[in-house]
Amino acid sequence: MTLSSNPDRPRVDARQKVLGEALFAADQRVDNLLHAMTVPASIAKGRIRAIDSSAALKVPGVVRVMTFDDFADIRTTPASRGAYGQPGKGYQPMTGPDIVHRGEPVALVLAETLEAAIEGAESVSVEYDEAAEFTALMEQDGAEEESEVFTRLDHGDAEGAFAGAVHKVDVTYRHPQQHHNPIELISTTALFSEGKLRILEGTQWSSALAGGLAGMIGREPQSVRASSPYVGGGFGQKNGIQEQSALVARAATIMARPVKLVMPRGQLFHTASYRPRSLHHVRLAADADGKLAAGLYRTEQQNSRYDGYNPLFGETPPRMYGYPNWAGEDRVIRVDTQTPGHQRAPHEHPSSYATECALDELAHELGMDPVELRLANDTDTDPITGKPYSSRHLAECLRRGARMIDWGRRRREPGTLRAENGDRIGLGVACGNYKASMSPAIATLRLQANGVCRISLSGHEMGQGLRSVIAAELIEVLGVDPAKLDIRIGDTGLAPQMLTAGSWGTASVAPAARAAALKLRANLVELIGRDDFEGPAHVQLAKTRRPMLKVEIDTVPLGEGPQALDNLRRGLPVTTGPEYADFMAFSWIAHFAEVHVEPSTGRVRTRRFASVIDCGRVMNRRTTESQVKGGVVWAIGAALREIGETDPRYGRVLNNDLAEYLVPVNADIDWIDVEVIDEPDTRLNLSGVKGAGEVAMVGAAAAIANAVFNATGKRIRHLPIRIEDLLQGL
Amino acid sequence: MRAFSYSRPRTPEAAVAAFTDAGAGARYIAGGTTLFDLMKLNVERPTHLVDVSELHGTDLIETSGDVLRFGAGARMADIADDETIKREYPLLAESLWRAASQQLRNMASVGGNLLQRTRCPYFRNGAGGVYPCNKRDPRTGCAAIDGLDRGQAVLGTSDACTAVSPGDWPVALTALDADIVVLGPQGNRTIPIADFYLLPQDTPDREFSLEPGELVIEIRVPRTAAGRASTYHKVRDRESYAFALAAAAVALRIEGGQVRQAHIALGGIATKPWRSREAEAALRGKAPTRENALAAGRAALAGAKAGRHNGFKIDLAANTIADAISIAAERSAS
Ligand SMILES: Cc1cc2nc3c(=O)[nH]c(=O)nc-3n(C[C@H](O)[C@H](O)[C@H](O)COP(=O)(O)OP(=O)(O)OC[C@H]3O[C@@H](n4cnc5c(N)ncnc54)[C@H](O)[C@@H]3O)c2cc1C
Repeated sequence: MTLSSNPDRPRVDARQKVLGEALFAADQRVDNLLHAMTVPASIAKGRIRAIDSSAALKVPGVVRVMTFDDFADIRTTPASRGAYGQPGKGYQPMTGPDIVHRGEPVALVLAETLEAAIEGAESVSVEYDEAAEFTALMEQDGAEEESEVFTRLDHGDAEGAFAGAVHKVDVTYRHPQQHHNPIELISTTALFSEGKLRILEGTQWSSALAGGLAGMIGREPQSVRASSPYVGGGFGQKNGIQEQSALVARAATIMARPVKLVMPRGQLFHTASYRPRSLHHVRLAADADGKLAAGLYRTEQQNSRYDGYNPLFGETPPRMYGYPNWAGEDRVIRVDTQTPGHQRAPHEHPSSYATECALDELAHELGMDPVELRLANDTDTDPITGKPYSSRHLAECLRRGARMIDWGRRRREPGTLRAENGDRIGLGVACGNYKASMSPAIATLRLQANGVCRISLSGHEMGQGLRSVIAAELIEVLGVDPAKLDIRIGDTGLAPQMLTAGSWGTASVAPAARAAALKLRANLVELIGRDDFEGPAHVQLAKTRRPMLKVEIDTVPLGEGPQALDNLRRGLPVTTGPEYADFMAFSWIAHFAEVHVEPSTGRVRTRRFASVIDCGRVMNRRTTESQVKGGVVWAIGAALREIGETDPRYGRVLNNDLAEYLVPVNADIDWIDVEVIDEPDTRLNLSGVKGAGEVAMVGAAAAIANAVFNATGKRIRHLPIRIEDLLQGL
Repeated sequence: MRAFSYSRPRTPEAAVAAFTDAGAGARYIAGGTTLFDLMKLNVERPTHLVDVSELHGTDLIETSGDVLRFGAGARMADIADDETIKREYPLLAESLWRAASQQLRNMASVGGNLLQRTRCPYFRNGAGGVYPCNKRDPRTGCAAIDGLDRGQAVLGTSDACTAVSPGDWPVALTALDADIVVLGPQGNRTIPIADFYLLPQDTPDREFSLEPGELVIEIRVPRTAAGRASTYHKVRDRESYAFALAAAAVALRIEGGQVRQAHIALGGIATKPWRSREAEAALRGKAPTRENALAAGRAALAGAKAGRHNGFKIDLAANTIADAISIAAERSAS
């Protein structure tokens, strides 16, 4: 079958969600439940001297107060929070008296009601021996630079080319700490059913949760089942085992009762992952025609003392344009903080912010239009490896986006375009890329003669619309009625579950669903002896008097072998890209922002945004556009609003709630126009899919910062750009 | 959050009696949008709640007489939506609908609004010994003064406290010389709004001149012709659902191109709702030109004192006053 362009279609679970029928992990009814609440450490570094639980135990309903004595035998493994798969890294709180970051749990109160658990937790008193000193921020004296340098990328003679160039910029950008704040808080429920320990947790990787927990608490991997029915916003914060997961699992085992913990938002700022602070030194050089001569990019990322979260800022920027010379290195700075982690476009967002702003500075220095500068450096091959890109429609994205935003209005001289009310108008552009990856997947597909169709598959629904992607392939190949479709994902009891992250979800499940549907169709064709039928497959099946057909398939991504499936089953990471044997594969995007800056206050309003995305075949126009709009909204937040403020004297995030951690509200968002380049990339996979969720955001914050410069003439080299940055001299 | 007992009387007298009976741990609760929040943060630990949200007659909105009368139990959303208020006192309506979110405004009462507590993060998030705070735990020190003080006040501060008085509605009421009618164990009294809020000085834990058990019954605003040419202009870090970085309540009476009467109060930058007689004096008798408006704005900030990160609020507030004067003057013309 040839690939068709998918028509506009509602999400398959839209109605369910609107009616509140989609039950998330913490919504599941569990009988005989104990509610848990954590006591967060009130110091940043030190050791517990004593814990007094007597007052807590007097609170009616409190059943038990657990401390590190109860959890001493939980093992820290490469699956533990903060290890990121690396032996010797990571940290599991409450396995000993030491405190390594503020807010880590120091006691777990179990009670018959949530209210009693909360009151109990507030009644526990903990005495500490506080460390004489600690370091909260990478700019402080006690920060320790790791000797190992990550992602050193050297290509040609960048230093030499830079030294010899006439037109150049040498700039440093700073990116703040940001917190995901998904609306679904992180919850863990542990119970026993069918002889297994069952974990209900909104996670992006239930196989690693089940397998990893088994290893940490000393159980057989087969005896743990993890279910993640829906994830209410993951964005990387729910990639793996949480600080709380093993504690709740162990507590349930000790108590021989189901235990549930929903971590309060205020504590999540310290127990869950976040995007760490980073610093970006960018040097770019070009000849007089705007041909890039060199790029030099050095970064520093703040990490905790113990985690294995690698800094990978340097991976994607050299792939944006035809840099003949490039030098990059990423470093880690360690301080006494909690474990950072992946947040939507984890490194690509900050690195595109820094490099795409620097490119805007170069365009200004050259006196060249920034769209022209980007087009002049377009390339079909990756400058670092020399391999061709599997597909790249970036130039078309730029041209279309420029038309959508009416780029011709832009004035080269900053501050000269004015609105009727005196606001300074600025237009800015920036581009982004994100690697096209895939994961292996395993699927069981069953079609009944009455039209009911059920598929069990690897993958997690995080609101990105994974179920709708799976549905699209089944509808196309088998003519299934979406109302009769039962899609089961996110549960290790049904299929091994891949990490659903890194924008590879769609590119992994669409080919798997398509392959399963094609196999089932082939079986049907064999049965009925013809392949020219139109309409739903189950109608043909009914004629054979067979009640149903069932197929099982597994898909292995391009370039991988059977080992990949084995790793998938064991909850180990398996992903591909961006480099493949014959090509490099990326999704691409161009963003255009129009901002209005009020001269009396420096207030910035993003009036219009135009984004054009090249993500391969579009599986669902609505969810794709919605991903891009969401990415743009997030970038408006990143550019103008978001910052986790840490007071270095305390090492604690001050603004740890949704009222004070500012994300955009509706009134901050005007027009966001999205167009898609719906060109299948069939060199990559059967479905022709690259990926949209992460690239959506890459470059978008830079487009805003560049627009702010165009409006005001001010280069603000940190985020967020706030009133105090622009107030003077407008 | 701790267990507490709860009662829901039907008359103001019964509410005061219930409060008095319950002793020192009693609190009134109306919409609960401040109180529950602080209970969850362990800043407030009441032992008894007297729910005043269903007291008879306290949801009054009376706009026809010589004084506007608002029952303490009236909802923010209802006054913000009142047609007479929107037309004749836009600053009152704007101070309400530019506050919080629609959901909060549907819950919150305008009486409870007067008594909301500061958003200083060291105050809110520091219970249980996390951050010292003179307002929360008297004489423990202030973490904000040498800390991340971007949001702190630049007017009315003391060595003990720089926390901003957060409300918008109280600023508009301050501009219009409102009176607060209260009922206490000793009976009724009327407190001019200028005396209702206290400067922190060395007792920042005392924010209001209310005595224990006193219940706010009503808010009264004298009618003024300046109401029509008025605005509550609020500048914040996002376009909605945020507290003010700087806000100005301005009401003007302009005759023959000259400002005859000016009411100017500031929010978001002071430790209490801040009436600026200096700005009013600077504007009186002048044409509301941009230059004069800016001069008035600067006059209001003459005594301002910046901390480490909040210096920008001085210029921002001066400009905000100027913008507000321009908006009010435009409304006078139309
Ligand atoms: C996220 C968030 C954002 C907000 N944003 C804004 C904003 O931008 N601008 C703004 O102005 N406000 C804002 N607010 C504050 C909000 O307006 C107040 O919380 C609300 O007005 C309080 O009214 P309430 O009826 O809920 O008071 P409650 O919480 O019930 O009570 C508040 C206090 O007043 C006391 N009290 C209540 N009624 C009486 C009475 N009749 N007599 C004596 N004492 C009484 C209570 O004991 C308590 O101490 C925000 C609040 C939240 C939670």
